[in-house]
Amino acid sequence: MAKMLEIRNLHAAVDGKEILKGLSLTVNAGEVHAIMGPNGSGKSTLSYVLAGRAGYEITSGAIVYNGEDLNALPPEARAAKGVFLAMQYPVEIPGVTTLTFLKTALNAQRRARGEKELDAMSVLKLVRTKASALRVSEEMLKRALNVGFSGGEKKRLEILQMSLFEPSLAVLDETDSGLDIDALRLVAEGVNALRSPDRAMLVITHYQRLLDYIVPDKIHVLSAGRIVKEGGKELALELEAKGYEQIVKDAA
Amino acid sequence: MNAPGAAEDFRAKGVPHRRVEAWKYTDLKSAVDVEQVASATAAQWTLESEGAEPIDFHDGGFAGAMGEASMAFAEAGFGLRVAKAGKVRVNFATPGQARVRLVVEPGAVLEYIETAEGDGFQNIGLDVSIGEGAAFTHVRIAREGRGVRIEDVNATVAARGTYRLQAAHFGSELSRLELKIALNGESAAAHLSGVSVLDARHADITTHIVHAHGDTESTQLFKHVAAGRARAVYQGRITVAEGADGSDSRQTAKALLLDERAEADLKPELEIFADDVKCAHGAAVDDLDADSLFYLRARGIPDDEARGLLIRAFLGEAFDGASDETRALLWAPVEEAL
Ligand SMILES: Nc1ncnc2c1ncn2[C@@H]1O[C@H](COP(=O)(O)OP(=O)(O)O)[C@@H](O)[C@H]1O
Ligand SMILES: [Mg+2]
Repeated sequence: MAKMLEIRNLHAAVDGKEILKGLSLTVNAGEVHAIMGPNGSGKSTLSYVLAGRAGYEITSGAIVYNGEDLNALPPEARAAKGVFLAMQYPVEIPGVTTLTFLKTALNAQRRARGEKELDAMSVLKLVRTKASALRVSEEMLKRALNVGFSGGEKKRLEILQMSLFEPSLAVLDETDSGLDIDALRLVAEGVNALRSPDRAMLVITHYQRLLDYIVPDKIHVLSAGRIVKEGGKELALELEAKGYEQIVKDAA
Repeated sequence: MNAPGAAEDFRAKGVPHRRVEAWKYTDLKSAVDVEQVASATAAQWTLESEGAEPIDFHDGGFAGAMGEASMAFAEAGFGLRVAKAGKVRVNFATPGQARVRLVVEPGAVLEYIETAEGDGFQNIGLDVSIGEGAAFTHVRIAREGRGVRIEDVNATVAARGTYRLQAAHFGSELSRLELKIALNGESAAAHLSGVSVLDARHADITTHIVHAHGDTESTQLFKHVAAGRARAVYQGRITVAEGADGSDSRQTAKALLLDERAEADLKPELEIFADDVKCAHGAAVDDLDADSLFYLRARGIPDDEARGLLIRAFLGEAFDGASDETRALLWAPVEEAL
């Protein structure tokens, strides 16, 4: 299988403080990998480094995506090349309606790829076909982006964006946090619907629960900025039973 | 006050400067002296009006020192009275001084669309009296200029009357819109909103709303975007007079600084002499939000476009209450300036 994402001995710092301390992993096209780890282990930091957030500095190592060094690209270029990050805390943007945002983002990506932009009607139709399955209402689309959305609504909108942009590498940062069981199922169905041989996913989660619904090919356990243990989907159950502390101790 | 009295008083006090509290952020004395103000020529304007009849422009009052100067020294001006429905468009394109007096009769409606442009020293004094149940809408576009540009507005609003301001300011070397609005009868209201979009220019909005009567309402929302060495000023004073119970006032001023050298001074001020009143005020100076910017870029929107989207969203809120036509009128120069 083709390597889609290869992270090699990645060291990254935020505000001069090293958070990722030699992280390596490889995800092939078609695979879904989970990253699990305690709070503060560096999961969100990894997601931001992958998306190219300013202030998250790679001090050594490399991120290679489809054979290309990601570090050289600004966030918008990564998005246009098919990298998508569903954020742990989606940002509220007053004054920009959700639909306007979706259209602007979709067309910006298309423009960057040299594709024809879509008119408002086509975008609306496309959004509607994706929105109903995720129970994103017309009314939500008219509201300012994420403003006044519940936790579950925000996460559903992240997944809606994922299905709209059809990325080839999707990173989901704790998309399950704050969701009740129905919302979790909805989100997981949305994610599973996008599983495909030419798409890879990195599912970041604190809890095993999500992985009952999105069954990963591989699990990596992150602790203090490093992968300390790897295994198949059964590792999630072991983590659930023993707790992170024990697993990290065993691995040391 | 008559003109000789105003002249004597203005000469005695001199041109306001930054040690005068109300002019702390607009040091007018650094730009003009008393003689320049006293001998300024008559401003010229173009005027289109419907539904209005001429009246004498000499009467009326003023909000601050420069309004007094316009009383004292302006030789030109116009006065209009609206009995039913009027629409007035005026463009002040030259330096100089002028007085304007508007009377909106009880139950009447007047839309006053004003643009100010050009360089040099321009000082316009406007006196508006709004009768019972009358509605006055003041749309103001002050284009970017290089001189000193002042407008001083003195308004009185009778019961159930409304003063509505919708403004777009683009700054000058020194510029100021000063308003004093007295809400003199039950359910009189003032709703002021506007934006300043400044690139290396100065714009000052100074308001004083006097809730002279109970059960009056005022709302204010001003948004400033400042780039380069721009300086945005908002001073909002609210006075609730003794006995003006049930008054409700809200004011918000926000500034977005796009450059480290840009500056914003936002100063709300409350003077409350009544008991049962609602007053809410807020002021905030920020940079563009880094989280928002990252979010948009991570979804493929290029940096420039993402900034533009956030700036427009920030400013747009100021015109939420405007009619489509007015919003389009105010938004066109905003787009040009961004
Ligand atoms: N902006 C920041 N500045 C400084 N330290 C940060 C910042 N963001 C995260 N950290 C630190 O980095 C570490 C990893 O955080 P994070 O990646 O959010 O972990 P996780 O997502 O696994 O909970 C934590 O110790 C956290 O305090
Ligand atoms: Mg996190």
